[in-house]
Amino acid sequence: MIECTDVYKRYRNGVNALYNINLRIDQGEFVYVIGPTGSGKSTLIKLLDGEEVPTKGTVKVIGIDVGRLRRSQVPVYRRNIGVVFQDYRLLPTFTVFENIAYALEVIGMDKTLIRSRVRGVLNLVGLDDKGNAFPKELSGGQQQRVAIARAIANRPKVLIADEPTGNLDPTMSDEIMSVLERINKAYGTTIVMVTHDSGVVNKHRKRTVALEYGHIKADLPGGGYILDDK
Amino acid sequence: MISRFFRPVVEGFKGVWRHAAMSLSSIFSVMMSLILVSLMMMFTFNVRRFTQGLEHSIQIAVTVDYGHEAAEEEDRMALAIKDIPGVTTVTFSSKDDELEYYINSVANEEAKKLFEPYREDGKNPMHDAFYVEVDDGSRLEEITHQIEQIEGVDEVEYGGASATKLVSALNLVRLIGMGLTGALSLLAVFLIANTINTTIENRSMELGIMRNVGAKNSFIRGPFLIEGIIIGLLGSIVPILMTYFGYRYLYGITGGHLVSDMFVLLDPEPFAKQLSLALLAMGVFVGFLGSYISVTRRLRWKR
Ligand SMILES: Nc1ncnc2c1ncn2[C@@H]1O[C@H](COP(=O)(O)OP(=O)(O)OP(=O)(O)O)[C@@H](O)[C@H]1O
Ligand SMILES: [Mg+2]
Repeated sequence: MIECTDVYKRYRNGVNALYNINLRIDQGEFVYVIGPTGSGKSTLIKLLDGEEVPTKGTVKVIGIDVGRLRRSQVPVYRRNIGVVFQDYRLLPTFTVFENIAYALEVIGMDKTLIRSRVRGVLNLVGLDDKGNAFPKELSGGQQQRVAIARAIANRPKVLIADEPTGNLDPTMSDEIMSVLERINKAYGTTIVMVTHDSGVVNKHRKRTVALEYGHIKADLPGGGYILDDK
Repeated sequence: MISRFFRPVVEGFKGVWRHAAMSLSSIFSVMMSLILVSLMMMFTFNVRRFTQGLEHSIQIAVTVDYGHEAAEEEDRMALAIKDIPGVTTVTFSSKDDELEYYINSVANEEAKKLFEPYREDGKNPMHDAFYVEVDDGSRLEEITHQIEQIEGVDEVEYGGASATKLVSALNLVRLIGMGLTGALSLLAVFLIANTINTTIENRSMELGIMRNVGAKNSFIRGPFLIEGIIIGLLGSIVPILMTYFGYRYLYGITGGHLVSDMFVLLDPEPFAKQLSLALLAMGVFVGFLGSYISVTRRLRWKR
């Protein structure tokens, strides 16, 4: 499902964000990526969603060589994966419903189908009654659930998330985790989740990939937070 | 298929509404710019109208050499004058006409009598003459010079030296007006583009989000372009009303001319209408272009 082979990423300013990354994630897996700040976690996510191109090596997601995509092909590729960010990235002037619908309009989906799809995912993340609310009227946890609903509305095979609980308190984080686990179970969606949150990692144990200085320090099938808490 | 076409339009309208405050500031900048442009254009085009009116009254008088008064020679000369670029009409006036005109222009009845002997055959001292009108007063001297080269021409004079001066003064005013209008239009374009650019800058994050969820650039751009057009349209309403009715009003209270009959104003029909259309086109075009450039620039480097 996801395959990184000998991946290096060096930014234009000369920073080596990732080197010699070899990583294979199978369909249906739920994997944490952890590591101290600056260790290259977000860079890995950006390589996976096509925002950045590897300097060396190949990044393959659902069989697509993401690093070789032309700029114009990137949006089409993104329709096959879902991405969630720490800062939610909801369109502030769109309602919750419209935010989710946008991701479906993009692929030219029929209006009636969009409506039922949006209702379905809102139900899945437990926000049935918030369709007409604007993002700023929601709590952080609710906004993140909207973002997750948007990410999965297309029924992607892969969901990648960069610190989705980064701005949330433990209760809200637990809500997000249970939503993600439900998605993972219900649809068999492969999930890659970057996190700083030792609480989450230790409570909801999953395969954990630890990055340090841009390389993979450990890959623990049983999980657990292995880094010193800063 | 239909929704592919209508979606950007619907979303464009929604966008204007969603960002009401920003849209209003853009609309306002379009409005102010177009009002200024409209005033400058009214001024410039009317000055042009004045000069055209004056130029019409400016003539070149060409007298024929005594030795070339045969009809076929004069026909040849008339044709030669007519061939000169810029010449609009050539009118022949015989030496008898000239004498009549001259005698009639003398106010004193006693003096008029003094000229009576010249009416006798063969005593007329006047020359046959051509009166030449040109389309552009600034070329009077040049055309005069060209007429002097024609065989059989005795003397060439262009009349209304003061009118000529006025024409060149007005031409200068018009030139300055045109320059100002051009500069102002550019400024307007810049101002509008800049306002739109700022509003889109504020929404740069939106563009990023749209790409994040798989929207192609063309899909993102469409509604923004429509928004630009709508802002251009809305921004040009007030300037158009001011131009259309304001100019009519002005024309009405001045009676269609300033100071004297010499300065005739352009008829509101079709001038006010044409100017209004030009403002509309300008508003729409600039709104469209401003949006296009701003959005495209921000999308260019986003993967
Ligand atoms: N666009 C960029 N241009 C240049 N350098 C960058 C860019 N993005 C990240 N970096 C650098 O690459 C390194 C890895 O950054 P990255 O964002 O991947 O770390 P991270 O593990 O996500 O950190 P954090 O936990 O703070 O989010 C850092 O040294 C960072 O400064
Ligand atoms: Mg990061």
